[in-house]
Amino acid sequence: MTDTRLRLTILGGYLGSGKTTRLRHQLHVGAFGPRVHVVVNEAAEVPADDALLTGAEGMTLLAGGCCCCTGRAELIAALRAICDARSRVAADAPRLERIVLETSGLADPGAIVQAIQTDSVLIHHIVTERTIVAVDSLHALAHLATEPLRRRQTGAADHLILTKSDACDPAALDLLRATLGALNGHATLSAAVRGDTVALPPLAPDTAPAPLPALAEEDRRGPIQPTQLAIPAGLDWSAFTLWLSALLHARGDDLVRVKGVVRTPAGRLLLQTVRKLVQSPEILPKQTRERADDRIVFIGRGYRPDDLGRSLHRFLGLVPLNPDERSSA
Amino acid sequence: MCNACGNPAAPGHWTEAGAATPGDRLRARFHRAALLQAVLRPYGLTAHDGVVVPGIQIGTLAGAQSIVQDLGEVWAEAERLSGQAIDPLDPRYPDD
Repeated sequence: MTDTRLRLTILGGYLGSGKTTRLRHQLHVGAFGPRVHVVVNEAAEVPADDALLTGAEGMTLLAGGCCCCTGRAELIAALRAICDARSRVAADAPRLERIVLETSGLADPGAIVQAIQTDSVLIHHIVTERTIVAVDSLHALAHLATEPLRRRQTGAADHLILTKSDACDPAALDLLRATLGALNGHATLSAAVRGDTVALPPLAPDTAPAPLPALAEEDRRGPIQPTQLAIPAGLDWSAFTLWLSALLHARGDDLVRVKGVVRTPAGRLLLQTVRKLVQSPEILPKQTRERADDRIVFIGRGYRPDDLGRSLHRFLGLVPLNPDERSSA
Repeated sequence: MCNACGNPAAPGHWTEAGAATPGDRLRARFHRAALLQAVLRPYGLTAHDGVVVPGIQIGTLAGAQSIVQDLGEVWAEAERLSGQAIDPLDPRYPDD
């Protein structure tokens, strides 16, 4: 069975990080394909930009507040309306294939993914494919040092775009790249100038990430830190899912993001979670060289990093019990 | 989704993604139930997935039973039935 659900790309980033510029350019060159609907959310009321419409099949402007919090109901209603309209078109006729959601600069993309995945209608219609976060090369380090939201946005990204990279000093750009790598090691990086993709020079070796102060909001459970866990060869997928689902149940609010590639009998699975939610795992083609296999990154806080590995090994070492032994406990 | 019972409520839970063929899926369900049984035993709970009934059956040794859809729901229900928190980072797991 092929998945005919709508693909959703979330484009986020802090205020003034270049989201709209990037979106407009990408629509202009047709990067999202021909049948795309654009949803733009503005935290402050701003008139719709007609220039955006070129290259998109339709556009919805949500001006009723940030769609990860106060405007969430409006976002859900708008997405439901789009799905409803699409469902009236036969599956084999040309119909909408993709939604691009440009969030407001104050939105946490993780909260939006969560809102969509917990909606009983949208979960049947929409697959969140990618979260792209624009990062302002000039100001991002200053924001990361002071804004918890800016760190959450970075943590939620699958792909980070360094905007305005031409105006940035190369050493400062390297420092920013190393810092972003420390905050979210699994996101891919690219650069864009005025919306157009430009090549990134190779990162200078041994660039140390900038030290980020612990933020008041985060002090209570310690700073958010990434932990890498090697997955043993011949992993028992069932035991692993037991462990991860229990971990997310108990610690989901502390685990900002879990991402990695796991080998299973069905193929290589790209596994990713945002807080307590797991996106439907995507089966990857046989070999791609860009991702390392059997390695999972946990980004979170409130636990000792070593405990993750030891706890997983305890679960993987479990001896299955026959259900018939129930009475002999 | 089934019109009468509303099952499954959402398309394919992520924990079921590791098996491609129906045979693999069935084997994975039995294996998972046996592992779950081993995890829940110390909490005084039993787990059973006979495949006939949709979902996973969780029970206490005193006889209370409940059915949950998937692994995502197992833990909340197990905590409710056993009255204690289940946390893989609980010292009882990493420290052994």
